[in-house]
Amino acid sequence: MEMLVCIKQVPDDSVEISLDLGTKEPALIGVTPVVNAFDTYALEMAARLKETFGGEITVVSVGNDEVKNSLKNCLAVGADHAYLVKHEKSESLDPCGIANILKKAVHDIEGELETKFDLILCGKESTDYASSQVGLLLASKLRLPVATNIIKVEPMDGIMRIKQETEEGYRSIEAKTPCVVTVQKPDYDPRYPTIKSKMAARKKEIKELSPSEEVSSMLEVIRVFEPAKRVAGIKLKADNEQEVVAQAMSVMTAAKVF
Amino acid sequence: MARLIVHQERIPDHQELINICPFGALEEQDGKVVVNAACKMCRLCIKKGPEGAMEYVEDVKKPEINKDEWKGVAVYADHVDGTIHPVTFELIGKAKEMAAVTGQEVYVLFMGNEIRDKSEEILHYGADKVFVYDKEELARFKIEPYTAVFEDFIKKVKPSSILVGATTVGRQLAPRVAARMKTGLTADCTILEMNENSDLSQIRPAFGGNIMAHIKTPNHRPQIATVRYKIMNAPARAESKSGVIVDCDMDQEMLSSHVDVIDILPKAKETFIENSDVLVVAGRGVKKEEDINMLRELADLLGGQVACTRPMAESGWMDAKYQIGLSGRTVRPKLIITCGVSGAIQFVAGMNHSDTIFAINNDPKAPIFKSAHYCLVGDFYDILPKLIAKIKEKEGV
Repeated sequence: MEMLVCIKQVPDDSVEISLDLGTKEPALIGVTPVVNAFDTYALEMAARLKETFGGEITVVSVGNDEVKNSLKNCLAVGADHAYLVKHEKSESLDPCGIANILKKAVHDIEGELETKFDLILCGKESTDYASSQVGLLLASKLRLPVATNIIKVEPMDGIMRIKQETEEGYRSIEAKTPCVVTVQKPDYDPRYPTIKSKMAARKKEIKELSPSEEVSSMLEVIRVFEPAKRVAGIKLKADNEQEVVAQAMSVMTAAKVF
Repeated sequence: MARLIVHQERIPDHQELINICPFGALEEQDGKVVVNAACKMCRLCIKKGPEGAMEYVEDVKKPEINKDEWKGVAVYADHVDGTIHPVTFELIGKAKEMAAVTGQEVYVLFMGNEIRDKSEEILHYGADKVFVYDKEELARFKIEPYTAVFEDFIKKVKPSSILVGATTVGRQLAPRVAARMKTGLTADCTILEMNENSDLSQIRPAFGGNIMAHIKTPNHRPQIATVRYKIMNAPARAESKSGVIVDCDMDQEMLSSHVDVIDILPKAKETFIENSDVLVVAGRGVKKEEDINMLRELADLLGGQVACTRPMAESGWMDAKYQIGLSGRTVRPKLIITCGVSGAIQFVAGMNHSDTIFAINNDPKAPIFKSAHYCLVGDFYDILPKLIAKIKEKEGV
């Protein structure tokens, strides 16, 4: 089974990002770039599918040379090929612009590798802007079936059997192959690279693609600003435990959870 | 207007290319060849330069849309088997506020099977028109036919703005509709403000909520926004009905699908942490795996569930699906009790919209206290057993 995983590089999601009051932009200098968490889940899902059903995994991302580091990391945890669509200002593109670039990349990569992808995986959203649209828009542009929020995929004869999570439960879906899925956090965590896999990844080439057509955005970010600060919470001290417990009880009563 | 694009990677020798231009319009800046204002568009550089290095692009003038043709605010009625999701009413309330600014109407789009009777309920919330597509093919949500119906509705009604609840269905449907209509979509808006010129100011959080972004869709219509449940306030249900129901029909052929829903598996007794009213959260302050049982006892007494932070999920003590945070799940319970949780942004971003946040941590400087409504500085190993005993006493267990 041939798989493509779309990767976004984002600032480390364990670091608190604040607004740079000078530039009025998010202060990202010094924040380690990482592969978006949900994309790592998608890659892990692909890696497990590869172990069971064979085939190869290709990863693709859009951005500047810095993104190559993230792609290297993907090569160390299961990806066989990595492509970067060079775009110096990818952060200024809206989801539709990114999907347009990825659509062309899919065709370009399929041409270069002389293959057809059976399954295209994306994270369900990114941890920075969390628009949760790119996978859906990509599918729409490629005219492929799509399933979002999925936690399991299984290829069967010409179709994919998919387990999708909804608010109410799970839906079991069948989609014609090829198709696009966006991945929710499954019941497992992504694997870590080993020293050996890291060494092997370092030797692999990251191929570059050009976005060619000028991509325009339909959305315009007018400004970014800090949200209103939250009012400080009520402090309770544990010196007098009886009292603390009594207070906790009244909080719970007020929250109407009893 | 036309312009030249420089493909840096295809220039073997910068100076050689720069010398080609008789007007001196090519120059080197920060190691890159750029075109300056002296360019006369003679295109000599394309002919004589290295192949593919320079590209001539004719700007296609974007057709300006006529915003006056697009009127009103539409709301997508989210439902499962005809039971309308409450986010729909919240959005109708918001749509009324928005439409009042421009003096336009509020529409509701309701599609499904055997829903005609159920559409009456929407008239209690003040929509002007409810457009109903009642078709067998629409019984269950399928992305292709639902998108086709949405497109049909937009082309017929031409609403200026569309609000969609950010439910599982809405999150799939809205981007597809936006792509089909070649317009922009802003997901998970928390603030929506209508301007008098019918431009919608869409404000949404980024980076886990530390930064807000104000977004507009300046040249496209309709403007589509999704909003999560419980962000906007629901209007009160009026005793009397107002507005009209418009029955709609469309080309049957448009309703085919390439994705089949084989089965809907109702969650067997399993409730996602997103749906719990009460959550007790285990953080790194939990010393042993067995100690989670104490948290579970409290959660059971309160009719809730135990959830955890990322380090706890990674330690394997709890399943990944119980992880709250930016890379896990986003929750909004009525009450969340955090035990030994430091409060990294990664975690806080997934729960800071909870109605009541009760944090227990023995470090008075823990960041969790910046987000908590009630900050208890102390050891939860001391406090939880007493709390559990007190609740049992009260409940008469």
